[in-house]
Amino acid sequence: MPAAGRRVLVSGVGGELGSLTASLLEDEPWVSSIVGIDADPPRRRLRRTEVHVVHPSDRERIVDTVERFDPHVLVHLAVWEPEARANSSIAPLLTHQAATAFLGAAAECPSMEAVVARSGIEVYGRRPGAPTRPDEDSRLDPTTAYGRSLFELEHAATSLGASAGVRVARLRLASVVGPHLPSPLGRLLRQPVVPFSLMSDSPFTVVEQIQAARSFVAAACARYDGALNVVAPGAITLYQALRRGRRIPMPLLGPEWFIARRVSHLFGAPIPDHVMEVIHRGRLADGGRLAAALGVRSTTTAAEVIDRLHAWPSVIRVRTPSEALAS
Amino acid sequence: MNATASVTPLSNARSATPAPGPSVVDEWGRDQATVDVLEPFVRLRFHVRSTGLEHLPDEGGALLVSTNRRWSWDPMVAAFEITRRTSRTVRVAGRSDRAPGGAALRRLGGILARPDEVATALDEGDLVMVAASPSVAQRRAGGVDHRLLAPAIERGLTILPLAVLSSPLRRRVRMTIGEPVRAGSRRRGPLADVERADATRARLDEMLTEVAASMRRGSSWRA
Repeated sequence: MPAAGRRVLVSGVGGELGSLTASLLEDEPWVSSIVGIDADPPRRRLRRTEVHVVHPSDRERIVDTVERFDPHVLVHLAVWEPEARANSSIAPLLTHQAATAFLGAAAECPSMEAVVARSGIEVYGRRPGAPTRPDEDSRLDPTTAYGRSLFELEHAATSLGASAGVRVARLRLASVVGPHLPSPLGRLLRQPVVPFSLMSDSPFTVVEQIQAARSFVAAACARYDGALNVVAPGAITLYQALRRGRRIPMPLLGPEWFIARRVSHLFGAPIPDHVMEVIHRGRLADGGRLAAALGVRSTTTAAEVIDRLHAWPSVIRVRTPSEALAS
Repeated sequence: MNATASVTPLSNARSATPAPGPSVVDEWGRDQATVDVLEPFVRLRFHVRSTGLEHLPDEGGALLVSTNRRWSWDPMVAAFEITRRTSRTVRVAGRSDRAPGGAALRRLGGILARPDEVATALDEGDLVMVAASPSVAQRRAGGVDHRLLAPAIERGLTILPLAVLSSPLRRRVRMTIGEPVRAGSRRRGPLADVERADATRARLDEMLTEVAASMRRGSSWRA
């Protein structure tokens, strides 16, 4: 447990993961004050987090806010997954701008002790012959735009650690899916008719947002230095996920994917290249080191995470005040 | 103002409750349901008689090095038999990484023939089978890739030779697991792996000869 009175900065606090992490940090006894920065306001009520709504392109304002706060720990969650909250062409740019501003400002803060950066298992890539379940020591060889974006972020964070002498934890998350989470994979799985690859139907894994958030808090508390995979135990294939959600599976062989992607986009579930890779090549990772390093253990399997995604009702009935009082 | 809720649930045919029961694959993509479906067909096609299963550890990882006759399914048939007899998962290193063949073999427990894949599977306490290179001669084992043995040697795990005698056209298959292959010298460098691989191959040759001789004698094999 670090000494009390530590200041923590959370970038990307407006997202589901960011606001959940900030709310968990608020309960940590070693955290004295929290500042959160994002382009959007947080998605849940935060009791003692001071939130600044700043666009990632406004570097000067971000640097000014960070330097004035002079944090001990930076939890960097300002990562835009393509087609989650931004489209495929803008997402890498936003991620790059945020990394430059936050990590650059962190390097100038005299109190800075540790950085915890959000990355993803997309950095390992899924080139033919790549390891089925890469661990943290496996070679980084991203094969998608999102993977390359995360690879650059990790490189920037590692460089910051070397130059400023701070500990840098890189948490490589599987696809974070669940209720309320903007995720292209989650949207695809919730469609009534979902295409899947008849030729491969490869297994993939996911992670629940609460496990991801707990991992960030634990890494910040432990001042962890290095990379860790954060994945739910178990795996599932797309076809199995669709059967569990009682969706209609549409088997595809190859060329018709071109049309399927466009039709899916038209119905509000665009399929970016890293999700296409999941469909065709799968995406697994060995998450065994996380429990040993941080003591974070998840009992929610990949199949259960998918079940919770499907259990999220399409429409939530809003109760009127009179109905609420009557019940 | 009438405060009746303006949002009503869709009459959705899909239930919010997940469908119960559909199987899921394990962390490597192996599908026990697929294995269970195929198992009777494998037994229909191959009549396997096995010996030496007592050499397998009851728990924890171990590396099996199997003979691999060209145009045969020896490693996969052996993996099915070991799983049937011991209820332990066997991961066979050597699947392709191309669909659909590689994807199908992954469902049956195939992993890539990479030292890091073998190492991860051994760390999880699985039985891992690596195959010698394909051999045309029935009583000669092919070369054994020492790089795939290295993870087991580093971890001090048992390396077991597995001789399989089969014919592409016949139903009878003879399979025997030998005693663990011990280190012949006290080498600590890379030569230790190479020499252990050579020793394993030599042991496989001996076992194939022994199995063929016992078949000629018509000795009884425990089914």
